[in-house]
Amino acid sequence: MRGVLLASLRHHTRRYVAAGLAVVIGVAFVVVTGMLTGATREGLTADVGAPVAGVDHVVSTDDQSEAVKLVDTAQERDVPALSLGYAMEPVARDGVQLAPYANVSEVALDPALQWQDLTEGRFPDAPGQALADVNAAKSTGVRLGDVITVGSGDVATEVEVVGLVDSPAAANASLYVPWTDLERFDDTLWLPSVAWGGSPDLAREIAPGATVETSYDWTAAKQAEISQGVDVIALMALMFVFIALFVSVMVIANTFAILFAQRQRDFALLRCVGVTRRQLRRAIRLEALALGVVAAVVGIVVGAAVGAGLVVLVRHWFSDMGPAAIDPLWAGGAFVVGVVVTLLAAWLPTRAATKVAPLAALRPDTGVDVRSAAGRVRLVLAALSLVGGGLLLAVSVATTSVPVMLVGGTVFFVGVLLLGPLLVPALIRLVGRLAGRGPVRQLATGNAVRNPRRTATTAASLLVGVTLTTAVLTGLASSRTELGREMDDSYPVDGSITAVDSPLADDLVTRAGALPGAADAAALDGTVASIGKVEVPLVSAERASGVVRGRDDLVPADGVVLLPYDVIMELPRKVGDRVWDDREVTVTVDGRDRTLKAEPSSGWGRSGVVSAATLTTFDASPQPMAVWVRATDGADAEDLRGDLAALAGAAGASVDGGYSNRAWVDLQVDILTGAVVGLLGIAIVIALIGIANTLGLSVLERGRENALLRAMGLTRTQLRRAMAAEGLLLSAVATLVGTALGLFFAWIGVRVMIGSVIEDAGLSVPVLQVGGVAVVAALAGLAACVVPARRAARVTPAAGLALD
Amino acid sequence: MTTTLTQTPTAATARDLTRTYGDGDSTVHALRGVDLDLPAGRFTAIMGPSGSGKSTLMHCLAGLDVATAGTVTVAGRDLGGLDDTALTLFRREHIGFVFQAFNLLPMLTAGQNILLPLELAGRAVDRARYDQVVGVLGLEDRLGHLPSQLSGGQQQRVAIARALVTQPDIVFADEPTGNLDSESSAEVLGHLRRSVRELGMTVVMVTHELDAAAYADDVVVIHDGAVTAHLTDPGQDQLVAALRGRSA
Repeated sequence: MRGVLLASLRHHTRRYVAAGLAVVIGVAFVVVTGMLTGATREGLTADVGAPVAGVDHVVSTDDQSEAVKLVDTAQERDVPALSLGYAMEPVARDGVQLAPYANVSEVALDPALQWQDLTEGRFPDAPGQALADVNAAKSTGVRLGDVITVGSGDVATEVEVVGLVDSPAAANASLYVPWTDLERFDDTLWLPSVAWGGSPDLAREIAPGATVETSYDWTAAKQAEISQGVDVIALMALMFVFIALFVSVMVIANTFAILFAQRQRDFALLRCVGVTRRQLRRAIRLEALALGVVAAVVGIVVGAAVGAGLVVLVRHWFSDMGPAAIDPLWAGGAFVVGVVVTLLAAWLPTRAATKVAPLAALRPDTGVDVRSAAGRVRLVLAALSLVGGGLLLAVSVATTSVPVMLVGGTVFFVGVLLLGPLLVPALIRLVGRLAGRGPVRQLATGNAVRNPRRTATTAASLLVGVTLTTAVLTGLASSRTELGREMDDSYPVDGSITAVDSPLADDLVTRAGALPGAADAAALDGTVASIGKVEVPLVSAERASGVVRGRDDLVPADGVVLLPYDVIMELPRKVGDRVWDDREVTVTVDGRDRTLKAEPSSGWGRSGVVSAATLTTFDASPQPMAVWVRATDGADAEDLRGDLAALAGAAGASVDGGYSNRAWVDLQVDILTGAVVGLLGIAIVIALIGIANTLGLSVLERGRENALLRAMGLTRTQLRRAMAAEGLLLSAVATLVGTALGLFFAWIGVRVMIGSVIEDAGLSVPVLQVGGVAVVAALAGLAACVVPARRAARVTPAAGLALD
Repeated sequence: MTTTLTQTPTAATARDLTRTYGDGDSTVHALRGVDLDLPAGRFTAIMGPSGSGKSTLMHCLAGLDVATAGTVTVAGRDLGGLDDTALTLFRREHIGFVFQAFNLLPMLTAGQNILLPLELAGRAVDRARYDQVVGVLGLEDRLGHLPSQLSGGQQQRVAIARALVTQPDIVFADEPTGNLDSESSAEVLGHLRRSVRELGMTVVMVTHELDAAAYADDVVVIHDGAVTAHLTDPGQDQLVAALRGRSA
């Protein structure tokens, strides 16, 4: 049998190319995932131990005061110690904010503990000096020698940047200051551990509640923690790998089914000459095994090449990525997956193929008739799956349970796939009829529905990709709409320039409005008020209605002041408490006091907002105290903020605004959408290979028939057109069903996932994107039959009639 | 070589028709300079043993294959120099086919199969002609059936109806009884002859069966790619002698 096996493999090599390609892509996908996560893990865990390299122990405690006491005591007693944590504080230079929240960590003054990787300048040798991360410095324009303000209010302090360092991903602070400076920020300081150079006993004496571990153990635990985070990402990527492999199984199973049907006479002949059914089955499975092994090896090689290329590319933009390397475990796993997937896909067709009776070889050759119908069992199963899945989906909507939704969705989808042999041909007939009555179209429709099961499997492989892509695109678009609404309320003003103590220039609003990225700008009249001795501009937003987003127009009732949380934090404790507890505040302008109702809020900069009428009671002739800007859609957040900061800096005013946050959220949704569509795209590519494959193999099968048609007067162009129409019908129906299912799943998903957070969450269909997916999938189906159609048309009628 | 020229107009003519396959040492000469005139309105059989080139001759005459050298004229039209599309359109208009097997498209009913050539050509269906052809072949109650629901003889009758419905200048039949039992064979051959007698068609049939050739008016004998006899209304003895004379 080995001779037969080898000969048949050689003979059918070209017919196996598509199935092999599906395996190669799946395996390569696994390898690339492994390499990317490996490189990410390598990058993120690199230098985790650097901060504790100079000490023997790390002391960790849940009680932050203990940690602070440890560092303080260490300083007094001259014990080497370094805080392992950070504070989140605003950073400004010359009154212009550089970052609203920067990570600030400690740099030791003791050279033995100065672990950072200095790229320029020197390490601090006294309080008031700081190191800046080289990347953060680059993006904010901070240079050596700059004096910057860290923190706000009474804890604000000035430090001079004396050195630039390259921070590893594991300890990613933008700024490093000595402990004396860091200690001030106890409000935002998070200090879980301290690198400890003294004896463990001393640490336990100072901090009885703390745990002491060796720096080696601490590093290992930290690395494991980061690895787990990477593992979660790898798992998510593997979900897409699973989808791609699922589609691969369908493509490969279909290929085997068609090939075996075409070789039925060969099999029967082998049986005639004495091959047992078991020998035949083993031979065919060995054939599948050989294909699986070869494809898996090629897949690993391709995956390694693509992975290495991607890692190099990513490292170019994201320096925290580690070097590319193949984990033997991943490569081995990918190999096994490739082989198992191939064998699995060959299993059912093999069983059917070996059932052939020896007599089949002797019967007159009536052509390959691989007619298959939807069995009754299949229909019952399909009905059960659809009803069961539908019920589960209904339950998931009622209980907003995500796991129930996932199970229900899967079961429902399986039901649709089972119904395929009935549903797909019916739809193809319908669409074919809608398309018109010409002979070419009739021929295409007839050919497309000849073998319901084959047609259904081919369509199903594309259906998976289109359904998921449509669902994800629609789901994300709906989340984006809901998020956008939330953002409108949380960040009503995209950008604001707020005066500190003197009115703004009259032309500032014109200049702000003329900035690229600014859609509209409004000047707000106001006056400088004093609340508990803190000077706060008081403005009225009545003229800014075209600029403010969200449901609230920021025009309070008379006698009410909207106070930003930041301002309330600055107030003396008693005044602040009165705002929180009694919702009242006394505002003083020009020595006149008036008590207003206070509503804490945020999102428009450092000013209190009152109605125009209220403002007039304080100041009869208010001056422009703030300029609010609305950004155009898609404006560059960094540029807009920079331009506003420049205007504000020149005017001695402060800048604020929510547009960067909006842009950040938008960017994240964009990245997520792109990533998901890209990953699902792989499944779609595999499905298209499947369509090309089915059509290509059908062409071989129909060689005689096509020759007959050509003899009777079907021109080459008509034959090509009929094949194109067949491919288009297949992909169009798959796309149609996929889009409908995708929208349905997205609707369920929005009900379950967003509906539980935001009431009356609606479905926003990204018409362009979904339409784009549909058009691309349908056209790709058309493209998939270019090669088979050309091959079919090239055969002359005489040669085709001579085929056996 | 005995060539008998007839007085009736010719439906198809071959002059010095040569067809070779492959090149170099592996060259196969399927046809070696065939000269042939096929009279219109008659039933001609082309006979010869396997590999004699009879199928190739038919393919070349029917515009399914392109001659290596020489000319083929069908219905007064020189087929040389026609490109693939022009040949296809020519076949559509002027030629009908009946093949040995795979004659019908499995997904179309008998009626749809018969009308297919007209549909391909985008021609209107001549209802009277259709009914006449279906009637002559006795297919009235089989029109809605799929090929898989028909017997071999019925399938060939559908194929003949399909070849006749377009009123072609010439019908080529390639071993039309090759897959049939003797009863069905007689039936199919009888139908072919009736289509010549009653419908005035020209039928050219390739066969290697003596019994089949007996139904024909004229018999062309081909051997090793060359025509060795063209007999008009031959008797059984004459036919056997012509065939045997070659194999000696």
